[in-house]
Amino acid sequence: MRWWVAVEWIDQLIQKGLKSVDEVEVFYVEGRSISADLKQKKINLASASEDCGLGIRTIHKGRIGSSSTNDPLKWGECLDAAIASGHLATPLPWDGLPEVQEVSHTPLTFDPLMKVDPASALTLLEQMLAGSEEHAAEVTSGSAGLSSATVTLANSRGVHYTDSHTGVSLSLEAIDGQSTGYEFDHSSFINKVDPFHVGERATFFAHQSAGGKEIPTGNYEILLSPLAYAELLGGVFIPALNGRNVHAGRSKFAQSLGEPVADQRISMYDDPFLPGASGSVSWDAEGMPTHRIDFIQDGVLKAFAYDLKTAYRYGKVSTASAVRGGYGGSPGIGHHNFVVDGERSSVADEHVVYVHSVVGAHTANPMSGEFSVELSNAFWMDEGEFQEPIRSAMLSGNVFSLHNEIIGISKESRSIGSLILPSVKINKQRIIGK
Amino acid sequence: MPGITYFDLRHVTGQITHIDIDNGVFESAGTTFFNKAVLRVISNAGWGILQIDNYQPCTGKKFDDLLQNACTLSAITQEQVCLADVPRGVLSVPAMKEDPRSVSIEEKSAILAEIEKGAIHPSVVNRRANYIERVEQVEFSDSSGNEYAYEMCRSGFNVMAVASQNGNTQMGYEREHSIHGFNLRHHQDLGKKAAGIAVDLLGAKAARGGKMKAILDPELAGVFAHEAVGHASEGDLIQEGNSVLKGKTGLKIGNDLLTIVDDPGIHEFGFDPVDSEGVAVRRTEIIKNGIVNAFLHNRESLAAVGNGVAGHARGMPGEPPLVRMSNTFIEAGDSTDDEIFEECKNGIFLKGSRGGQVDPGRGVFQFNAEYGYLVKDGECTGMVRDVSISGDILTTLHNIALCGKNRKMSPGYCGKGGQSVPVSDGAPTILLCDAVVGGSGMD
Repeated sequence: MRWWVAVEWIDQLIQKGLKSVDEVEVFYVEGRSISADLKQKKINLASASEDCGLGIRTIHKGRIGSSSTNDPLKWGECLDAAIASGHLATPLPWDGLPEVQEVSHTPLTFDPLMKVDPASALTLLEQMLAGSEEHAAEVTSGSAGLSSATVTLANSRGVHYTDSHTGVSLSLEAIDGQSTGYEFDHSSFINKVDPFHVGERATFFAHQSAGGKEIPTGNYEILLSPLAYAELLGGVFIPALNGRNVHAGRSKFAQSLGEPVADQRISMYDDPFLPGASGSVSWDAEGMPTHRIDFIQDGVLKAFAYDLKTAYRYGKVSTASAVRGGYGGSPGIGHHNFVVDGERSSVADEHVVYVHSVVGAHTANPMSGEFSVELSNAFWMDEGEFQEPIRSAMLSGNVFSLHNEIIGISKESRSIGSLILPSVKINKQRIIGK
Repeated sequence: MPGITYFDLRHVTGQITHIDIDNGVFESAGTTFFNKAVLRVISNAGWGILQIDNYQPCTGKKFDDLLQNACTLSAITQEQVCLADVPRGVLSVPAMKEDPRSVSIEEKSAILAEIEKGAIHPSVVNRRANYIERVEQVEFSDSSGNEYAYEMCRSGFNVMAVASQNGNTQMGYEREHSIHGFNLRHHQDLGKKAAGIAVDLLGAKAARGGKMKAILDPELAGVFAHEAVGHASEGDLIQEGNSVLKGKTGLKIGNDLLTIVDDPGIHEFGFDPVDSEGVAVRRTEIIKNGIVNAFLHNRESLAAVGNGVAGHARGMPGEPPLVRMSNTFIEAGDSTDDEIFEECKNGIFLKGSRGGQVDPGRGVFQFNAEYGYLVKDGECTGMVRDVSISGDILTTLHNIALCGKNRKMSPGYCGKGGQSVPVSDGAPTILLCDAVVGGSGMD
């Protein structure tokens, strides 16, 4: 087992660090990945990477230091840099890194069937291209990627956990005249992605959106697809549930605990044990045992997310919400599998404006939630069937207040990154025609 | 090695220093190190690419093994990649007025703290300031014997203020980033400016959506050029058939006064002394007097598409280069600000940018202003917040009616294919007629 090799220098690192600081935490990741890209229908490139990264955090009298490197042989220099960085940090209340606790060591996101090789990427691309033949549109680009990684977390209180992950991701772009379509899929398990469907949907949206008609400015009932909903939710609403933002005054929800913040049919939670979901994990990035967090229950705000640093600072308890974006920097507050749930219904049974995705969601105001975005692959929908495409229009509103206008959520959900979302039907949204 | 028609290696080592202050608390500060390389090989048909963490320069059998690994990957490629012949040359990196590495992190922290304190105001509930300094040593070599090496340092800071009142939360944001050396000094006023904007926005109205005349300040007009024209002129998208500008060379899509340029060689934040394929960088006039003139290319897209200029390949350390913008701008015109406001008469004046996005195949773009003012009888009146503009690449540029005299560039980062690269955008103040403005206001 390769990670036994890692153990030796990780222990040395921790012992050396303890000569200068109260506590040491080591995060080490080793992984490999393969991807292949299409230019139109031909494979233009295949690439492979072997990644490794070491992140070190030191804590001394409440001062937290960190550093990182992708050369694990240089762990000594990296440790010195972490300790030096701690000297600059303002001391904060700190009650210790976690001790060893009872956590499952069964990997939740590892697929032994996943082969990280060019042949697997080739097969996935061929299946996507086969799917793309279903509709009259041209493929412009596409990609298939496979990866595996082993993550080790160790600290000076004896924690030494190892976990393995695998991942597969697919995407395809298509065009019909001046009408574009895009679809993607991803999973930790090779048999859970559907490359044919990805290809079929990409050319479907490109072809089906061609010849769109204008829509007059007005207020409309809209149905946001899980993708469009994720684009609006991810940059604005979810950060407002982050305990750090709440206590720092950067969250709209700072004074809203216990208050209704969404329609009563809406619940939002983080479920780190959801079977098959790509964010499932038994311990968080600081080694705290994970558990379900109910942020919003029946429309009422019930909880915020905390890591250790923020919890100690504000007299709260860590919700095991620490995540790392990579090996660099310090862990921050995030989520594992963020689920929007509630009473499900047939949301597409009436005449609605269906919005598949939007252009410019990242320009929404992260504090106030105001947004105005361009619609992408929007249609009139009747009885769940796509009708006439809408050529071009803007959707304006507020990510927070639209949650009070939700009038239905779909029976099906879909994974968009670490979000698991239904389609949502929303009343009275402002569409600006051209 | 048999079968290999080309290879290149780009190796980047460096260090990143950062400081993060949040409401007076030093959250984190320190330095991290990186070492990444990307080896690209053309064999069989297309590219085999190795992305290597912690690369140790090697020759002989070790290097041949890496080439062989890349060849193995390229076995599944199908498209025959050709590379255009290109001019070579490396510009010198401008000397820094003050090397950030000569300033201690303690001193940097103290100056940043002064900027952050400038945002203290009774209505401001959160202040945040970040400093970032990134030094890269770049080495390139290819199978044709081209070699170059250079070092670049980019540094700068952001300061943000959040104001809150009766459940209304607004933010102000200022930033300065530079290739000319340490730039934290003498900017204490920017914290105060960010706070002032956040507090003023508490009283601003949501803009009413619809078609109107819009005056765009140089920063926002620069983002407009970047989103409306820059991306759609990228040669890889043209090659894939995913841009409305494909086949449109020579077509008039804007006014005679409109010239839009990308120039990696000017000393702005997107400066590249040479591109990531070892190609000399050159000024590229994408739109010239309103006519589609030249595309931005790498060697592959230039060979496949033509009509343009190579030298626009850029990659993050360890990542395969893509066709990217660098310093993108609308050339200055001859109108004064007074003439622009007079011609606008009634409309909206938009300032600052929260970014934008484009679907180049569909030809539709969107970008967002930080704030603005309603213009009545040529004068700025009430403040408005959360204003977006959307447009159509092939028609909206005709609506640029006036260009001001003074062009100003603003630094930023641009994302494509999972890679983020430093860029700058700029323009003079411009007047855009029939702008499609998005806003949730009803009056």
